Amino acid sequence: MKGSSSLIDTTPLHVREARRRRLIYVLLTAFFVITQIIWVGVPVLMAVLWSLVDPQHPWSFPQLFPEKLSWAQWAYVFKYTNIERALKTSYSVAPLAVLLSFLLSLPTAYVLGRKNIPGKKVFMLVVLLPIIMPGMVVALFLSRVFAAFHLTQSFFGLVLAHTLMGIPYMIRVLTTSFESIPQDIIDAAENLGANTFVKIKDIFLPMVRPGLLAGMVFAFTTSIEEFNLTFVIGTPTFETIPTILYSFLGYNFIRTNASVVALIMMTPNIVLLFIVERILKADYLSASLGKV
Amino acid sequence: MDQKKDVSMIHYLMILPGVGFIVLFLGSSIFITVAQSFGLFSVTGTSRFTFANWKTLWERETIDSVVFSLKMGVLSSIGTLLFAFPVGLFLRKGGAGKRFLASLIKIPLFIPALVAAFLILNIISYHGIVNEVLLAVRLIKSPLRMLNDKFGWGVVAIQIWKNLPFVLLIVSASLASIRDDIINAARNLGANNWAILFRIYIPLAMPGILVSMILMFIKAFGDFPITSVAGPTYPPSIALRMRNTATLFQEWDKAAVMGVIIIVTTLFMTWLYSRLAQVVEGGNP
Repeated sequence: MKGSSSLIDTTPLHVREARRRRLIYVLLTAFFVITQIIWVGVPVLMAVLWSLVDPQHPWSFPQLFPEKLSWAQWAYVFKYTNIERALKTSYSVAPLAVLLSFLLSLPTAYVLGRKNIPGKKVFMLVVLLPIIMPGMVVALFLSRVFAAFHLTQSFFGLVLAHTLMGIPYMIRVLTTSFESIPQDIIDAAENLGANTFVKIKDIFLPMVRPGLLAGMVFAFTTSIEEFNLTFVIGTPTFETIPTILYSFLGYNFIRTNASVVALIMMTPNIVLLFIVERILKADYLSASLGKV
Repeated sequence: MDQKKDVSMIHYLMILPGVGFIVLFLGSSIFITVAQSFGLFSVTGTSRFTFANWKTLWERETIDSVVFSLKMGVLSSIGTLLFAFPVGLFLRKGGAGKRFLASLIKIPLFIPALVAAFLILNIISYHGIVNEVLLAVRLIKSPLRMLNDKFGWGVVAIQIWKNLPFVLLIVSASLASIRDDIINAARNLGANNWAILFRIYIPLAMPGILVSMILMFIKAFGDFPITSVAGPTYPPSIALRMRNTATLFQEWDKAAVMGVIIIVTTLFMTWLYSRLAQVVEGGNP
């Protein structure tokens, strides 16, 4: 399109206007992209660099980059901290919490998505409460309830607590996918003589699968990140990755160790959530987090 | 559309596992908070009904903590919105490079809050890159204290960084639902860009703006970990004071009062939102 006319003077006004607009648009896009790369990139890059600083060659002010990079900090964290046990706890609590929240959510989401029952709005609001309620209050006083049933400092108690935080995402995402199944398909299947089993196998399961995947990833990442409840109910018997990170951030801020743990914690989450976003559409993100 | 209501016992039974689980655990937790604030179900000492714990409301420390948390809530929600709204407006229409920009912006959403806290406090700390860069370009003479500062700017910075995509998600959804016809009509009638911003975009996106601001306020008001690592030494946020009162000083009943303060504030904000949403929707039929 460019160069179709060499004489600028004869270019019609609306074409010049369109070009000017396109230039502004390109400049704006470039501005936003560059600020975002700095905004997100610098904090992450600094953490990566700090996790690779060699203990023999400290990184201090006038140097722009660390003198020597090494894996020594990573080796140190794995050798001298509880990170291995914390990883084991985190990654065994999370799948169990996902499974439990899935089993509990399935019937609930089916009814909320497909049936028009009185009080549906109230139920949908109740489902959101674990996300809305401030975590520390719930954690502290749920620990009183848990203590009465000997669930504090116990693995099962931790799974229950993580289920509570994951279940809202699971219910909301599954509800949205149940809602999106067109009634025609179900009616047609019934007309052709499908029984409940066939309906579940050939209609509900395949059509709910993307939502189920999204719900599982949301519940899983929520469990990996969960801090308040784990901190009150689980520690010191059970350490998870967030509680280890917290201990490095508190009174004794150990930058290098914290960098390693932060990277261990965030990398799988980012990868998982980006995969899910690729597979699914953005609707699921807003369905679970946005519209209240 | 006239939808008929299905009333069936089985449906309520099927709702029970999910909703019941939440009601059981959250309900019991909230019940214990309220009961203990009045001295019932006491952990330490004898249980009897009393208003004595509520005297903590008039203590200097409690008031300071509540004011600090309110400040954090308000500043975080306004701050995040100020960053999110322009980006939301820009992203309203698709175009080259925007998919990339959108997924770039979304990254902090996927980063756990504590990790986000670390990432930011790492760069704003005394010898962090922000201070070093400002020193290098001679904007400041000595490093600024941004972490654990008296005011709490460090906390606000972390909240904004972490929650920008979350707020953007809500705000841009409501901006996207504004039809182009309205904007074209306004332009035809001679509206300039400012008029379109203040009389179309902002009013029509108001429900989304309100939801995001109120959710942000609730998050920042009841926050424990971020204030704990990046906040000032005094005052602690109300959630931090509550936790210390309970587990360090074993004054559970007093902590319960602070828990009730947090719960009531959260519920009040939720109620306020539903009222405001009605007003907003009533104003724009």
